[in-house]
Amino acid sequence: MSEQRVLEVSNLRKRFGDLQAVAGVSFHIDVGETYGLLGPNGAGKTTCISMIAGLLTADDGDVTVLGRPMTASSIGPKADIGLVPQELALYPDLTARDNLRFFGRLYSMGRAELDRRSDEVLDVIGLSERADDRADEFSGGMKRRLNIGIGLLHGPRLLILDEPTVGVDPQSRNAILESVERLSAEGHAVLYTTHYMEEAERLCDRVAIIDHGEIKAEGGRRELVERVGENDRLRVEVSGPTEAAVAKLSDLDGVVGVVGADHTIEMMVVDASAVLVEALAVVAANGATVSSVSVEEPDLEAVFLHVTGKALRD
Amino acid sequence: MADQASNRLRLGLSATGTIAVKDFRQRIRDRSIFIMGVVAPLVLALIFNAVFGGSDGIGENVTLDIGVFDADDGEVSDAFVETLSAIADDGIITLTHLETEPEARAVVDAGDVGAVIVLPATLSSSVEGGVDAVITVIGSVDAPITTQVALAIVEGFGANVARGSAAATALFMAGEIGPGEIPTVAAQAATEAPTLVMGEIPAATRQLDSATYFVAGLSIFFLFFIAGMAVTSLLDERRTGTLSRLLAAPIPSGAVVAGKSLTSVAIGLLSMAILVPASTLLIGADWGPVLGVAALAAAVVLALVAIMTLVGSVARTAEQAGNLQAIVGVTMAMLGGTFIRISGDGLLSQLSLITPNAWFLRGLSAMAGGGDPAQALPAVAVLLAMAAVTGSIGLIVVGRGLRL
Repeated sequence: MSEQRVLEVSNLRKRFGDLQAVAGVSFHIDVGETYGLLGPNGAGKTTCISMIAGLLTADDGDVTVLGRPMTASSIGPKADIGLVPQELALYPDLTARDNLRFFGRLYSMGRAELDRRSDEVLDVIGLSERADDRADEFSGGMKRRLNIGIGLLHGPRLLILDEPTVGVDPQSRNAILESVERLSAEGHAVLYTTHYMEEAERLCDRVAIIDHGEIKAEGGRRELVERVGENDRLRVEVSGPTEAAVAKLSDLDGVVGVVGADHTIEMMVVDASAVLVEALAVVAANGATVSSVSVEEPDLEAVFLHVTGKALRD
Repeated sequence: MADQASNRLRLGLSATGTIAVKDFRQRIRDRSIFIMGVVAPLVLALIFNAVFGGSDGIGENVTLDIGVFDADDGEVSDAFVETLSAIADDGIITLTHLETEPEARAVVDAGDVGAVIVLPATLSSSVEGGVDAVITVIGSVDAPITTQVALAIVEGFGANVARGSAAATALFMAGEIGPGEIPTVAAQAATEAPTLVMGEIPAATRQLDSATYFVAGLSIFFLFFIAGMAVTSLLDERRTGTLSRLLAAPIPSGAVVAGKSLTSVAIGLLSMAILVPASTLLIGADWGPVLGVAALAAAVVLALVAIMTLVGSVARTAEQAGNLQAIVGVTMAMLGGTFIRISGDGLLSQLSLITPNAWFLRGLSAMAGGGDPAQALPAVAVLLAMAAVTGSIGLIVVGRGLRL
């Protein structure tokens, strides 16, 4: 195993009743690497993270953190992980500083170290001025930043961020993304789950596309986009119903995948110029009126569409 | 291996303390804890004591208002009335003399007296003639103890008559008296006042005064809800997401439950530490020896936290746990005699022994009237056993839930 390896996940499985939530997930993260788990809600991202952080017992498979096996009763490996849960895991009736101090003590941090790190982290997350205000007086974005700060406090080798930007305003989102970029530059290994394609593209060195508990594709952005090959992404804005058109479009030659949403139909096609006229005719014939058409470069969303046959937002 | 175990224990204890201190600070800021732990039991005890404390059937400080109607006015009935007057002079009863039987019934119906003893016109002649006589006790349904006391006095008189008859018969057999003197000797014996013997009251039958009884019972009733917060707080942390963060920390997961339980124990003890002197000062409660009360309070708080942990462990949400705990708390209070004193050996009395409420009150009762603190030890032992059994099961179930 590489000395640079921070996290090794192999063949992780978890079933809840009839639902196979995670079905044999394997990946690794090295020092200074930001790894993205990109998938829609319910794809199995949070279940994966829960097993990696030792919150959930896996049915099968192994997790090692810096070479040490992680289980629900592990103590040592947990000290190397900083978890930022999807929920705002903080105490609203405590101040920002008291929240940091409380969780810091659980990581056996001494008073002096705790004070020093609290100040540093408050600075990083931009809450130094509000350090002694109660968390329930904060905006949603400030709470999100404090949520991340708590995960950072003890200087973990691996930071796990589970959908950290859900429900925040664009300004706070940008601040959060900048923080993650800074941490990565400082050498932290980061496991980042999201269903926002643009976040994965911006932050992650490697991305795993996860759906129905399985990793469908994995690699760097360029590597993944190459999987789509020479395919084009054809985006048609429409008014009127899309369901009938989507069904017919998927039967056309040269169409790899089709997804319809309100006022939008997205297609992965082998050659946009060859299929465009026929596709627009099908749309018009099935009750929808075309308002605009665009042909776009493949991106991670296109990759997702290519490997799963559906859009990320579904 | 030993180092690992020692390190784990050190981390566990440290985390337990950290979580307990944080929770304690959070909860103590919440005024409802003070209201539930101190104000509510104190105020309700004041109200209960004012309403029920002096009435027949609940408090100990009952006034036994007994009336007597003497239709005989003979030697035997005069002796009986004199005996009643002597008891009244001792302050055990208040005696009302009534002129007619309808008047006797009327005062009972009106609640002016709890019971009236009606001495028939033929009482003296019947006793002297060796014939059965019937003394009637008219009792009020609202004054069962007074009625029982009146019946006991009458039964004591009957026993004296029987003893006098036996003595007269023996004297006749010995040739000391003639057959015509038997009724007279028997009547004389019957008119002798019974001998009263004062003895040590066994611990099991000592009783608390009503003020202490109510404040003690109500304090346990409200402590149930404080004790239940250990599990409801854990379920709340699950709902808000902070539980994930606690379990992701490098500490034994048991420390989370232990920290929560320790907080409830500390708050329970604190509320008792305030309530005992406050109730002594404000409503004159007499809890008994400090050492015994402290041991009982510690044991009952542990038992309540353990029971509520077990009850809450089957719930999936804090709301569910709160509802279940409320049901159990109220049931235990009713069975355990918080609202109505349970005495005797009946089914209810036996059932009460499954509740910590009853054992706490038994422990206090055992020390009442200047009893030794050691008298509370059986109750302390039972409460600790309850804590050990229910707590162990509860922690196992909660621990499994934490591991998912």
